[in-house]
Formats: sequence, C-alpha cells, structure tokens
Amino acid sequence: MASKVYDVCVVGSGASGGTLCAHLAQAGVDVIVVEGGPPVNTRTAFNTHAMPFEFPNRHIPTMKPGKDGFTSERSRGVGGKSLLWNAVAWRQSHRDFKGRSIDGLGEDWPIDYKDMAPYYDRIEREVGVCGNLDGLEDLPDGIFLPPVPMKKSDLLIKRGAEKIGVKVIHVRKSTLTRPRGPRPACHYCGNCMAGCDVAAKYNSADVHMHPALKTGKLEIRSNAIVREVMVSNENRVTGVKYIDRLTRQEGGVLARSVVVSCACVQSVALLQMSKSRLYPTGLANSSGHLGKDFIPHFTGGVELFLHDLMGKPSVNDEGFLDHAYIPSFMHKRKRDYARSFGMQFNYQNRRSVGWARALPGFGKAYKESVKDRYPAYVVLSPYGEMIPNAGSFVDLDEKNKDEWGLPSARRTVAYSENDMKIFRDMSQWARRIGEAAGAEILSVSDEPHTNHELGGARMGSDPKRSVVNSDCRAHDIQNLYVVDGSVFPSASEKNPTHTMMALAARTAEHLADRLKRREI
Amino acid sequence: MSIENEGRREALKIIGAIGTTCAFPFSANDLYGQVAPVTPPQQVHQHPGPPQRPIAVPGKVKPGYFSQADFDVVTRISDLIIPATGTPGAVEAGVPAYIDSVVGGNKQLQEIFRTGLAPLGGFLALTEEQQIAMLTSWSNAVGKGNAKGAGPQFFQAIKNLTADGYYTSYIGLVEELKYTGNTVLDHFPESTIPEH
Repeated sequence: MASKVYDVCVVGSGASGGTLCAHLAQAGVDVIVVEGGPPVNTRTAFNTHAMPFEFPNRHIPTMKPGKDGFTSERSRGVGGKSLLWNAVAWRQSHRDFKGRSIDGLGEDWPIDYKDMAPYYDRIEREVGVCGNLDGLEDLPDGIFLPPVPMKKSDLLIKRGAEKIGVKVIHVRKSTLTRPRGPRPACHYCGNCMAGCDVAAKYNSADVHMHPALKTGKLEIRSNAIVREVMVSNENRVTGVKYIDRLTRQEGGVLARSVVVSCACVQSVALLQMSKSRLYPTGLANSSGHLGKDFIPHFTGGVELFLHDLMGKPSVNDEGFLDHAYIPSFMHKRKRDYARSFGMQFNYQNRRSVGWARALPGFGKAYKESVKDRYPAYVVLSPYGEMIPNAGSFVDLDEKNKDEWGLPSARRTVAYSENDMKIFRDMSQWARRIGEAAGAEILSVSDEPHTNHELGGARMGSDPKRSVVNSDCRAHDIQNLYVVDGSVFPSASEKNPTHTMMALAARTAEHLADRLKRREI
Repeated sequence: MSIENEGRREALKIIGAIGTTCAFPFSANDLYGQVAPVTPPQQVHQHPGPPQRPIAVPGKVKPGYFSQADFDVVTRISDLIIPATGTPGAVEAGVPAYIDSVVGGNKQLQEIFRTGLAPLGGFLALTEEQQIAMLTSWSNAVGKGNAKGAGPQFFQAIKNLTADGYYTSYIGLVEELKYTGNTVLDHFPESTIPEH
C-alpha cells in the first residue's frame, strides 16, 4: 500500500467528484481522485458522430473500437456520467429545499436557496451555462450565456401550451453558446449524449480536473475500483481499498479525509460494503438511514406528431437536443397531491425512429405514414418529485456479484399514492399540452419509470434521521464526506446535476477551510 | 447526399463537409492542460460530413440463421411491410439480412419465428392478394392491441424488425426520411411559426 498520506481522497470523478477535487486542488489541498474507469480522451474515444448503419446490428457502441470506457455500471471513465449527460442545469428554489415546511411531507434540507446561491454563481461562471433570464421565483435565474433559439416544434408546443395557461421557457444547459477559453461553442451536431467531442458541453474531466492538474496538487488514479472505505478504531476514516481494474491487484490510498462521490446508488453501496466492527451495517449508518429515502425522479412520456409539421420537408434541427422546457406550474395551482413536476421535451435525436414500430398497418400506406410523421415527432417527458417512502431503498444484492466479486447495488422502488397522482396528472397535462398544440397522440406511458437517482444517504440536521449534516459530512465520522445525489433529502422535479456541482463547490470550500485550520 | 435547400435551411451555414477540418481555435494536446492521453498536435477536431451511402452488397444474401426456405418467406414479408415505392424498400435496404442476424442472436425471437414460420411453407405460392390478406388479418389483430396467437405475434415481431432495420439503414434514414443532422452549424437558426 502506498505510504503517501493525501489530505483528501475523493472516490469518483463525475460531476460531483470532479468539481470537488478540482476546487480542492485550486485551494492548495493535496487531493487524489480515485476513479473505477479508465482515462477517456473525449476527442477521440467516443463514437460521437457515428450513424447506425455503420454497424451490422445497427447499435452504436458508446466507445470507438479499442477504446476503453463505458461498458458497465461500475466501469466508467474519468469524468463519470458527466461525459454522457444531457447537461440540463437548473437552480433549485426555496420551495425545493423546504418542502416539508410547506406541505409536511418528506424532509427539509438543512440549507436553503440563499446558502446555495453563491455556489450556483460560481459554477455558472466556471463552466458556462446558457439560458434566458425568465424572472421566475421557482426557477431562479443565474449567470447565463445566451440561450439557443427554440426549434419550430418547440414554438408550436409553446403556442399550444400558452393557450391553456402553461409557460414554456428556453432550456438552461451547461453547454457553451459562446467560446470560453480553450473550449469552442456548441456546433449543434445533436450528439450531446454520445459524448461531446469538443467539450462544448461540460464534462468534469476536461473542464474541471484537467485544468486543475496544473496546480500540481491533484492526482487522478484511474482504473481503481474502490471496494471499501477504511475506518480506524478511533472512528476516523483512513483511506480506501481498491481493485486495480487492469491487474486485478488489491491497492489502496491513505488520506486524512475521504469524500464518497461515485454517483448516488454506487456511493450508498460503497458505504454499505464498508462494514466494520464499529459499523456492522455499513459505514456511517448509526442512524439506520443509509440506503433509505431513495427518491429518484420518475418520468412518463407522451409521444405525438404535430399536425403543422406532418408531411413537411425534413430539416436539420437536432441542435443540442432539447431547447425548451416547461417549468413546474402545478405547485401554484389547486391539486390533490403534494409537490409537482416539470416537463422536458424534444430531446430525441432524429436518428432514432423506433416509434415507426407503433404506427398501424403495413405496406405503401404505412411507409408513407412514417415519412409524413418523421418531421413532426415530439416526446413530452415530464419529471415528477417522489416523496421518501419505506418501500423505496438501495441495498446490496450479496447473491449477485459483479465481475470484481463485489455485491451489486439493488434498487427497490415503490410508488406512493402521492407519486401516482403526480404521475397521472403530469401524463394528462402532457397530453393536454400536445392536443392544444395540434398534435396526433401516438402513445401515453401507462406507468412511471425512474431516472436521476437521488437519496439514500440523506442530509439532515438530526443525526438520528439522516446520514450527513449540512456540510455533507457524515454525522458519525468527523473526516468522512458524501457529496452527490445520494445526500438529497428531497428530490425536487428539477434535473439535479447543477445542484450537485454547487454542493461539491460548497463542500470543497468547507473542507479546505477545515484542513487549513488543522481540524482534520 | 445531395442537400435540397428549402427556405429555412438556406439560412443555415453548413460549414462541415467531408473531411473538412473545423476551424476550432485549439489543437488537441494543449486543450485544457490535459496531460494524457495525448492526441498528435496537428490533429484538430475532425467532423464528418453528411453520412455516406455504404457500398452496396450486390447479389443474393445467404442467411446465417434461417434456412433458405424460411429466409425467402422472411424476405417476402419484409418486402410487403416496407415495399419499394418511389424509393427503395426493405429488401434493397438489406433488412432481411438484418432480421436474420438479430433473430439468430435472440432466443425469444427464435421461438416466435419458429412458431410463426411453421405454417407458412406455402406462403410464396400464394398470390400477392392472398399474401396481403393474410398479413392484414394479423396486422388488424395487432392494431387492436390483441397480438395473441402465433400469427399476430409473429407479424408484430417481423414488422418491428423490418421497421428497425429499414429506418436505421442508409436507404431508410437518409434517402427515404431525408435525415440531415450530424453536421456542424456555426449557429442554430431562429425559427418562426405562422401567427394565428
């Protein structure tokens, strides 16, 4: 085992871990980030511009031939899921942080919007977020690059939605609409989620970690699959043990403090795997809440064809996928449930024509009907907020070991009556908005599915009911931190990554300060 | 691929062309202070031009999974589902070979195809009218959300595969649907809709 003792060991290099380790290094802290996947050269590793017909099975692999990277849940790459995200970036509002105070359900965050605002500012200045200043109380404005014009289909949805009193705004994304330093502006090739090969879209490797290497304070240890966070008999974490992905040898890192940031469910699983005499049910789990309060977003969807675009010539409007958004409006209206939903739409790449299966008939008429509808296809994808319930949790599936001999993380999700009421209402609203825009409805999903994993190591002020405190520090252990979606006490309906990055910036500041004061 | 400029697209400045080096102001190895892995310095962002039609494979395709007799029936049915009209159909787009490869690797589909193809030994001897009538009855059953029974289930499976195979082919996606994305734009154009 290496003898060097780092100030901080960060587990995971995605949006949270990548932001955090870069901020620590910039603050002069000696930091190592340990990542389970290989280094990924974003300019050459992804099949960014491939077309399906280049492959016999028509399935475009994420990585180019011979390039190591995204193959399974635990083997990712330096940059984590930020390499493949869609980059939607919202600030949460007071309502999102203080849900329980408003309606008595779930848990409040121990912090509020005013605590987070400076860190949202900082992230926006650093990474570049485009958007329009909309002046909405529930979706606070930030420091934005110019937004991208809406697509014709967005404008048609907007016109329809406005007829029934629903506002449509420009999307906000961590994607450059103007060049910034060495990063060019987006060129609208429509391949954001296939891996942006110019880093116009934020990813933590190119935007945060690689520049931070210049400080000489950051070390990136890739191909190191962390299997345990070590804790001493004095109740302090001392580092991590990992399996070298290439040699399968055991390795380790010693550090004065450890930050677990390896994506919601994996972070929870790592803590659950880190059993010891002091923590027989998982590290920092004296509350018994580790793994509980799992609150992923749930989404449905309405597929439709806009009459105004049917039979029209096909145009190149892939852009950077979704250009518009319907912010939550039901939280201000009379309804029979708590919380709300927001609606993304139109983020389907035009290379994907899977919906052709669902059109009726066959033969010449069928072929023509697909062609007519091709330019008119839109999906409305509402995202709802789940309230924590005892039936939704993360645990380890000891019987189901992965290729490294580690137990798989198992997700169990149960929808409460409130969740289902939101689901039904958001599906109905999606249909209503589609119809108001003059659309033929192809399908309405009849059951929710999850996305944007959150919760499992929730933040709170009561050590008996939460895993980490308002600084993302474990209640149980002075030098252990958890920073990613797992600490969210409530989910909001807003895409969470921007908030995770702001939390990472906030935690980095706190941690650097504690190290400076020699508290750790 | 030819690019037909209708009104809106004329506004787009398409600066990507085949093999064109895009004018992004950096070279790859000094980007973001990145240390490793390093791309040769002279190599800047290469963006492909519009998709290219793959070189056609002429002649009769030999199935890898299906028997020749079954493959001939599969070929005929895919041809009926997406026929050549003014534009090429499923057979020219190589859909039968795609179905052969997908079914060959999928046990569940193998079962559906085995059951579905078993009574179709005389399918090719039927008139086109009779063939279409048979597919129509299955298609109607599927359309009512009633894909029960071997026939409709088989029809649903082969229709799904035909649609998948056709609309992911160059012929289906680029020539038939006129897919125009995956190019470099220097800005995203403003769009308008007629006011009401």
